[in-house]
Amino acid sequence: MRLTACAAFLVAGCAKPFQHGEDVDAGSPSFSTEIHASPKLTSIESAETDGLGRPVRVACVTCHGVRDAGAGFPENAAVLKDFHAGLSVAHGALSCKACHVDRHGGPPMLRLATGEELATSDAIRLCAQCHGPKYQDYLHGSHGGMNGYWDLGRGPRLRNHCVDCHDPHVPKYQPSRPVLPPKDRFVTPAPVGSHHG
Amino acid sequence: MDKAKRRTLKVLGSTLGAAAFAYAIEPLRAWASDMSLGELLQKHYRELTPDEMRAVLARLEADAEAKYGREVTIEDIRPTPGVELGYALNLSVCIGCRKCAEACHVENNHDRTTNNSYIRVLEMEQGSFDLEKGTTTYDHAVPSPGKYYLPVQCQQCDNAPCVKVCPVQATWKESDGIVVVDYNWCIGCRYCEAACPYHARRFNWSKPEIPAEEINPNQSYLSNRVRPQGVVEKCTFCLHRTRKGLLPACLEACPTGARVFGNLLDPNSEIRWVLAHKRVYVLKEELGTRPRFFYYFDN
Amino acid sequence: MSASSLPPPSAPGERPDSVLSYPKFLWSMWRLAFTGSFAYYAGMTALTAVALVGLNAWAHQLADGMVRTHMTDHVSWGLYIANFTFTVGLAAGAVMMVIPAYLYDDEEMHDVVIVGELLAVAAIVVCVGFIAVDMGRPDRMWHVIPGIGRLNWPVSMLSWDVVVLNGYLLLNLHICGYLVYMKYLRRRPNKRFYLPFVFLSIGWAISIHSVTAFLYAGLGGRPFWNSALLAPRFIVSAFITGPAFVILLLHVIRRFAPAFRVADGPIELLARVLRITILVNLFMFGSEAFTELYSGGAHHVSARYLFLGLHGKHALVPWIWTGVALNLTSAILVHLPQSRTNRTVLMAACVAAFGGVWIEKGMGLIIPGFVPSTLHEVVEYTPSLTEWKISAGIFAAGLMVLVVLLKMALPVFTGRISVARSSMTSLPPAAPSSASLLPPSSRGDVS
Repeated sequence: MRLTACAAFLVAGCAKPFQHGEDVDAGSPSFSTEIHASPKLTSIESAETDGLGRPVRVACVTCHGVRDAGAGFPENAAVLKDFHAGLSVAHGALSCKACHVDRHGGPPMLRLATGEELATSDAIRLCAQCHGPKYQDYLHGSHGGMNGYWDLGRGPRLRNHCVDCHDPHVPKYQPSRPVLPPKDRFVTPAPVGSHHG
Repeated sequence: MDKAKRRTLKVLGSTLGAAAFAYAIEPLRAWASDMSLGELLQKHYRELTPDEMRAVLARLEADAEAKYGREVTIEDIRPTPGVELGYALNLSVCIGCRKCAEACHVENNHDRTTNNSYIRVLEMEQGSFDLEKGTTTYDHAVPSPGKYYLPVQCQQCDNAPCVKVCPVQATWKESDGIVVVDYNWCIGCRYCEAACPYHARRFNWSKPEIPAEEINPNQSYLSNRVRPQGVVEKCTFCLHRTRKGLLPACLEACPTGARVFGNLLDPNSEIRWVLAHKRVYVLKEELGTRPRFFYYFDN
Repeated sequence: MSASSLPPPSAPGERPDSVLSYPKFLWSMWRLAFTGSFAYYAGMTALTAVALVGLNAWAHQLADGMVRTHMTDHVSWGLYIANFTFTVGLAAGAVMMVIPAYLYDDEEMHDVVIVGELLAVAAIVVCVGFIAVDMGRPDRMWHVIPGIGRLNWPVSMLSWDVVVLNGYLLLNLHICGYLVYMKYLRRRPNKRFYLPFVFLSIGWAISIHSVTAFLYAGLGGRPFWNSALLAPRFIVSAFITGPAFVILLLHVIRRFAPAFRVADGPIELLARVLRITILVNLFMFGSEAFTELYSGGAHHVSARYLFLGLHGKHALVPWIWTGVALNLTSAILVHLPQSRTNRTVLMAACVAAFGGVWIEKGMGLIIPGFVPSTLHEVVEYTPSLTEWKISAGIFAAGLMVLVVLLKMALPVFTGRISVARSSMTSLPPAAPSSASLLPPSSRGDVS
């Protein structure tokens, strides 16, 4: 009997297309997904570094709580002063006013193309208005990192905010050195240019 | 030659022979001292009664403390009914930083000296699926122009060649789709390593070395407990995490969110959305292994 | 066995009891194994020394782990499995004596067929040895025992190998043991007790090597092995190594145990087998090489690595071309007219054929299966000193088993040792003693 079962497995087993068991109704999850409140939304990197060599961040309100941003936004980033000096912008052909509300006083706000104003923490909606497909992917968990539970019936999940990975002013993901190179015995890096040997 | 002389020679010869034999097998003392009768006679995972399992876990915890100087908890976590785990990876987003491999290395208590990890990342040439043109030893800033990155780990095949070939059923597929190894049943023949088309299995060529303070103490029998010397191991989708509903370590470490994990049986899960909406493919489909690990590209 | 070839019973009517005589038989065999000329002692001491070196290396490998070998996760099988594969062929090839002896009733072959059967036993011992040293956890060997362990039969090809190898060992032990014991009792063997097993063993010999080929051929992820031609190639090359080794062995027996009659017939028959199998093997080998090299593509890079090297790495290239050269040499030698008349030519052909197949079917087959790896990484493999030591030790132990088995069986077959005269006192004085496998000149130094 065992033999027949195995024979059946060997013959039929290989021909079966991918299939999984019956769908289940997971019901409504008891835990929710939160989006990480990135410090980048409310602070800016200073030139100072902490003991671990990380740049010290300064909250926007530190300055903008007591003083105005001044008159209007400049035409380009080069003329920015103080904390904003040296800010590079490489985000298509966008001007500052495309995203920032140009207004004296009050907390820094963002604006959608419709003119609707947004708190900086809601920046995802701002990004989404141009990056629709990426936003769709994000909503379905296939773009942007996360932590916590895949099963929201058992625990919460924390999603990365767009700005966790993409600097709004220079959104292109920055290249970096890879970690943990293979160190197996006898594995040697392929000599350059020997690929098609 | 007279009889007495002959006898003397024989006695001398056999004494010398016995001494040489004793010298030859001397290193076995170290080997045997690492082993207990309980370990030697332990039954197969699937034959252990709950009481026996408790005793085995207690012994393994004591062993871990004795050998690695770290107090650990080893659980036996079973699959949840109605859950079949699946994984998808977005190749358009992966940048080849190997953070996943590193997280695996730490989470799963891999040998520190070899940088072992269940994930191997290939730097591939754009416009080609040819693994021949890939390399795992790249060491420059990533992503590199003209390249894309293909992380490969256990594909948790439904028709797993490794399970088929194991002569002692030390590896099998669990009801949630994860292929596991009973490290205390594996005989170390490495036939599964030869059979796996994805280079997903690893053998413990020596006793894994991990400093006590670096050991991840949250362990399970079928996954990340420190493996004994001489047995085969593999990716288990971090079952000690994922069977509790947590995301796998490699996914949490991914800075770009290229990885999607979830229950294939839940129609509202992210993984199902990806399978339905993306152009998904599996590695070496022609081999008929039917992986539970899917790759896809964005538009 | 024809009745005429049996010596007359020592005392007619006094039929020794087959059960009660068995301890005596074992004792005689024991004495035979442990007594001999100076050269016999010297030879066995040398083999023991090599075996002990191997044992010591294995003990270190067990204590420190397989890291003592040069195998890796990329090339996870090496010299051990290469030698295992080759030796299974040797065990199966011994059946090339059994087939003519029993299937075609070749009288002269029948007289010497015991040599082939004993060779099979020794070769299987070597096979089991190589499997044992390749295991990471030999302490868990019992897991393969059906009933106690969990043998994955019939799905795993390795479980089939466990069954057929042990079965073949038991079959040959039974056949040899029974025939030798009956000779010892000076009785005519009862065909019912061995002939069915002989015929079973013929089919079984083919199966052990086919199953060993299926171990590799069944792996879809290893294109180099995934060929339907592998099992036929294995069988054909087994019929090179078996006859080649037996021809050499028969010459050694002629020299060291002249009382055991080795006619020219069996040697010439085996040489004729060689003349065919060497050519067929070369043809199959060439056919595979052509398919792989000509069609090219990602699935055929292993062959390119084997024959030409890949990405600047070519550890196997000199190795495989040596094998090809040896195979060609043996093909030429064995077809020279002199091979029929000149013993040296034939023996040289046998040595070349044996060496050629050892390379082609050992390292030349196992290693390219892993290079490049399944993710197409090129990681090379050359055996470590530990692996060479252990392999030499296993072969030495196997040779000891073979010599001891022959030393026990041949005197019984020549009638020197039997139930009537098996005590030690009667052994040395018995004129040109065939109890020793050594030439008369070297005898007497010790005894």
